[in-house]
Amino acid sequence: MHAIEGILFEPVGCLAEFPAEPFHEIATRLFGGRRKTSKSGSRAYWHLLNLIEAADRKLDPSEREMVESLEVQAVDGASAYDDVVPALSELKAIGTRLLVASSLSNAAVTRFLERSVPREHFSAMWSRDNAGGVKALPLRSALHCASLNPERTMFLTDTAEGLKVAKSVGVQSILMMNDPDEAKRLAMHDPAGGIVSLYELPDFVRLLAARNA
Amino acid sequence: MKNISIYRPSTVEEAIQLLSRHGTEAGVYAGGTDLLIRLKNRLKQAPTYLVDVKKIDNLRYIKEDAKGGVAIGTATKLSEMADSELLQKKYPMLVQAINMISSPELRNASTLGGDLLQEVWCQYLRGGYSCWRNGGYLCYGAIGDNSYYHSAMGGRLCYAVYPGDAATALIAFDARVKLATPGGVKELSMEQLVPGDMMVDGRIQSHVVRFNEILTEVVIPPPKPGVRASFEKLRPRGVWDFAMASLAMSLQVRDKTIEDARVVFGGISGKPLRETHVETFLKGKTLAADLSDQAVSIALANAAPLKYNSTKIDMAKGLLASGLAKMSAVA
Repeated sequence: MHAIEGILFEPVGCLAEFPAEPFHEIATRLFGGRRKTSKSGSRAYWHLLNLIEAADRKLDPSEREMVESLEVQAVDGASAYDDVVPALSELKAIGTRLLVASSLSNAAVTRFLERSVPREHFSAMWSRDNAGGVKALPLRSALHCASLNPERTMFLTDTAEGLKVAKSVGVQSILMMNDPDEAKRLAMHDPAGGIVSLYELPDFVRLLAARNA
Repeated sequence: MKNISIYRPSTVEEAIQLLSRHGTEAGVYAGGTDLLIRLKNRLKQAPTYLVDVKKIDNLRYIKEDAKGGVAIGTATKLSEMADSELLQKKYPMLVQAINMISSPELRNASTLGGDLLQEVWCQYLRGGYSCWRNGGYLCYGAIGDNSYYHSAMGGRLCYAVYPGDAATALIAFDARVKLATPGGVKELSMEQLVPGDMMVDGRIQSHVVRFNEILTEVVIPPPKPGVRASFEKLRPRGVWDFAMASLAMSLQVRDKTIEDARVVFGGISGKPLRETHVETFLKGKTLAADLSDQAVSIALANAAPLKYNSTKIDMAKGLLASGLAKMSAVA
């Protein structure tokens, strides 16, 4: 793996534990069908993103309002991990560029940054609104506008879908091993690396710098 | 097994030159009970150039120093330490700990330096998984079977426990070490030598020794008056396994009052873990049977077990209780 210049963060599952229910609710209201019962906020979120991507249609204003409102509700119910702020501060201090690249709406990301993790840690914020779509699009926009080399950029994720998206964009897919059983399963998807805690991320970046020196 | 080259220098200086020439591709070869297994396991991180230090005369000794302490050359075999009357007289707990390392056959090959600086015995690393210590970027122990040899006290990329027993015992004696480096001799405390997972020369290792440095000597200060020490170890098989939990404890007691305490746990963390909260608690207390309940209640408060290894914390606390009970019974 190359030395790392930048890290892209999807708040859901990487910076905070999100509740699953609002994402299930959005999926049911937009696409109908049987309600998924996953307790994992991340899995519910990525499932919703798959549905949005597959539907390939623009939301009408009332749908958009409903989705944003439920996403903000999810943000309000999210608990940021204890290690986020110290890890981000350390990463910034060692010169790593930190960007939000999320498939949440602009309103939800803004709310998240107001409520959970100070915005000053990030050099840019990409949501599905300013990136023009979900999943790979916020990552591509973040990379392009920051002139980051994908091979020198990490994307943290705790889902199989997230790993796929990272690989499709060419960035280093780093597995957040929040749950050991789930992580064991996801390790089979051949992530570029994995961490147990965000505290480890600065060491990861330093180790890569040393190995590539 | 990959092709290797072996050098046999006759002086420490020559050995350092060889290590410097080959960088991280080289490694010190003494007893070989760790290094040769890494080679046989075909680990990427195993060295290609072995610098055999067995022929260096002045690395193998056990002698009393002018202050009444003992200096031990790092090429001294563990069996020689176990048989040493000097060590038995001055530091019986150290001899007790050494006798619990591995098997008699392996103690007859292993050296003190090798035991102090050995690689972790994580089954994923030794099984050739591409983990942090083997050129990869993921700790399989953190998400796989971590019941035996992974940290219950958190980790730093790698979650394997530091496996050595000698360091755990020697920290209880406040031992120091000498390193021969290209710039001269460097002295460190035993705790500074093995501070837990460190990035050194682009590698993750449990100790601070750089690729071109050689651990040459361990110096144990003279025993303090009134000192009582114990070493206990729990392992899956009593014959020769590594510690699931161990405890080295040294108490300086006068008139039943504990004047100083060193409490060091092994086998539960990425380093020999000094439990300073318990040490502070014990100081000034009367050594008595009722002390252990309180000590155990405050011990290892920041434990962070992985999925399968919370029992290591129970074991460590059990060792603390039994160690204090035995010491108070002697009082």
